[in-house]
Amino acid sequence: MIAGAPAPRVIVADDDADIRALVAISVTKAGLVLVDKFPDGSSAWEGVQGSAPDLAVLDVSMPGLTGLQICRLIRADARLSGMRIILLSAAVDDASRQAGFVGGAVEYLPKPFSPRDLIERLSVLSDRVGA
Amino acid sequence: MSTALAVGGKLLGPISPLTKQGTTVVVYLIAIFFTVIKPAITVTSVPAISASAVCMLIACVVTSVIWRDVSRWHLFVIAWAIDVVAFAALQYGTDGVDSVFAACVFAPLIALAFDTFRRYRVLTAICAPLAVVDGILVFVVRASILPPDAERIRDDVSFIILGLLAIILVMYLVRQSRLQLARSEQMLAVSLQHSEDLARSEARSREVERSLRGLWAAITEQSAIGTDVTGLIDAWNPGAFSMFGLMRDEVVAKRHIEDFHLESELLERASELDNPVGDSERSQGFAALVEGARLDSADVREWTYLRGDGTQIPVDLSVTARVDDDGATIGYLFVAVDLRKAKQVSRLKDEFVGLISHELRTPLSSILGYLELLREGGDAPLSEEQLGYLNVAERNANRLLRLVGDLLFTAQVEAGTFQLDERMQPLGAILAGCVESARPVATTAGIEIKLNVEDDCEASVDAVRLGQACDNLISNAIKFTPSGGTVTVGLSGSASGAVITVTDTGMGIAADELDKLFSRFFRATTATRNAVPGVGLGLVITRAIARAHGGDIGVTSVEGVGTTFSMTLPLLESQWVSLPIIGARP
Repeated sequence: MIAGAPAPRVIVADDDADIRALVAISVTKAGLVLVDKFPDGSSAWEGVQGSAPDLAVLDVSMPGLTGLQICRLIRADARLSGMRIILLSAAVDDASRQAGFVGGAVEYLPKPFSPRDLIERLSVLSDRVGA
Repeated sequence: MSTALAVGGKLLGPISPLTKQGTTVVVYLIAIFFTVIKPAITVTSVPAISASAVCMLIACVVTSVIWRDVSRWHLFVIAWAIDVVAFAALQYGTDGVDSVFAACVFAPLIALAFDTFRRYRVLTAICAPLAVVDGILVFVVRASILPPDAERIRDDVSFIILGLLAIILVMYLVRQSRLQLARSEQMLAVSLQHSEDLARSEARSREVERSLRGLWAAITEQSAIGTDVTGLIDAWNPGAFSMFGLMRDEVVAKRHIEDFHLESELLERASELDNPVGDSERSQGFAALVEGARLDSADVREWTYLRGDGTQIPVDLSVTARVDDDGATIGYLFVAVDLRKAKQVSRLKDEFVGLISHELRTPLSSILGYLELLREGGDAPLSEEQLGYLNVAERNANRLLRLVGDLLFTAQVEAGTFQLDERMQPLGAILAGCVESARPVATTAGIEIKLNVEDDCEASVDAVRLGQACDNLISNAIKFTPSGGTVTVGLSGSASGAVITVTDTGMGIAADELDKLFSRFFRATTATRNAVPGVGLGLVITRAIARAHGGDIGVTSVEGVGTTFSMTLPLLESQWVSLPIIGARP
């Protein structure tokens, strides 16, 4: 994080409330600003469009829009070009991981993930935000 | 006479020498009796009569030696000849050629003629004309010069002898008739027996045919198609009707078996075999189809049947040759099992396992994530006791996670979606890493773990997956080895490539369970008996990883002594290099 710069803003989307809360805690522990949390893909996409956060942590498998679809929509929107995306997924095979990166994610975390690991990645990414 | 009757009574089988001699002796005694009581009989030479008696006695002695033994026929012929000499001497002693006992010389012939042995009949046939000539001389030429009394006695004696001959002839004919009848009856009985056997055999054949027809009609879930050597269909069961929707009359003698196969598949198989087409085979495709059966082996493999509407049916097809009595191939039998249901079930099962595994990972993420947050604590650090409880919860959550990972991996292997991320890696270093990560567990269990790498090599492998495979083998070895034992991990080269071995001094595996070890969810008896934890997926995964690398895995084990798993990875010789073993401890 650049000294003196405002903390990066983050939105979180996961259809599982506990995972959503766990990610939210990790975001907070990483010193970032949690803008909002969404239980499905459609509301998450609306949130992204409305608040244009610096970072989005999205579950791949969600009702409405999947995390991967949101990822592609963000990459297709010039206004959101600077946004970093972390995908979370229970799919651990290489094909799913590759699809995530091709879709525009900068990180792909297989479930179960370590909150400590997520916090570290969030910190690294937040340092790059605005850099 | 009684002796003659006795002889005649023995109608079946060969007559004993003593019986035959008895007939001759009776005639001889009658002649001697008449010689003594009838003064009309002229005795011209007492020495000749005495010699005659001695001869008869010798004949009796010889005969009594051979007794009832019909096999010593040559001795009987000697005795018979002596009998003839005895009668000749008697004739000589009683007025020579004019003797009243001239006809008695026939007496030995009576017994001889009566026997069924061919050699006796031949002898009789030779002597009978001589007897007839002698008879003519006695009755015609000499009759005029004999005195009246002597003539009468001669007539009596001749009458007795000829009477005996007549009786014996009749009895002989009767006997021959009865023998013939007996033979006919015997032949009839044999014929009847054959006839009954034939009837039974026909009944059995009909029964077998009925059973086969019933069986053929009852096979409705498998298609059974018979062809001649060219592939022209000559048998079509109800199962084939169900599979193709074609009636027997529509295909028999009209269609060939290749018409129901995917042509591209037949050609692909033909190009694999690269065999010339045989004389009787219509095409390369058909030759490929019957290749296994032609080589006298049961050929079972997956093929694709093609219905008239274009529907493809995956089948497990068994092809066998039909042979005639001489073992020559006269056609083929194609028995196919529809695999559509089995494949669908397998796919659904894999999808289910995949879905379940996926859904289990999400709650596990929560459990492990929150446990981690708890461990890292906040303002109030956890007590030692609380940390202990947390360890137990984390350990079991991780155990569950491993199981879910294994299930998911197995589903991927079954679905064929499992892929490797292969890069050139030193195998020794991978093994060293596995050994080091297992060392704490081994030490806790009181087991020595050793790494034995003579030459390292670099190979194109997926280090993560290969490490997982080796971890599985080492983990198993530790679990199945009692405290004080040793686990040795080795790497060596062989003609087929690199061989990774994991040897333990554990409880071993029963010989009859070795071939089941690599089946999903199989647990060895030693595992269940000793409550060794596991679900029976580790070795399935290990083998899948070995095979994905182009290798395989084998096992040898002796109960109570130990077990060795050997994983072979194919390598080029040039890939063998001497590399420093990184991370290994002696």
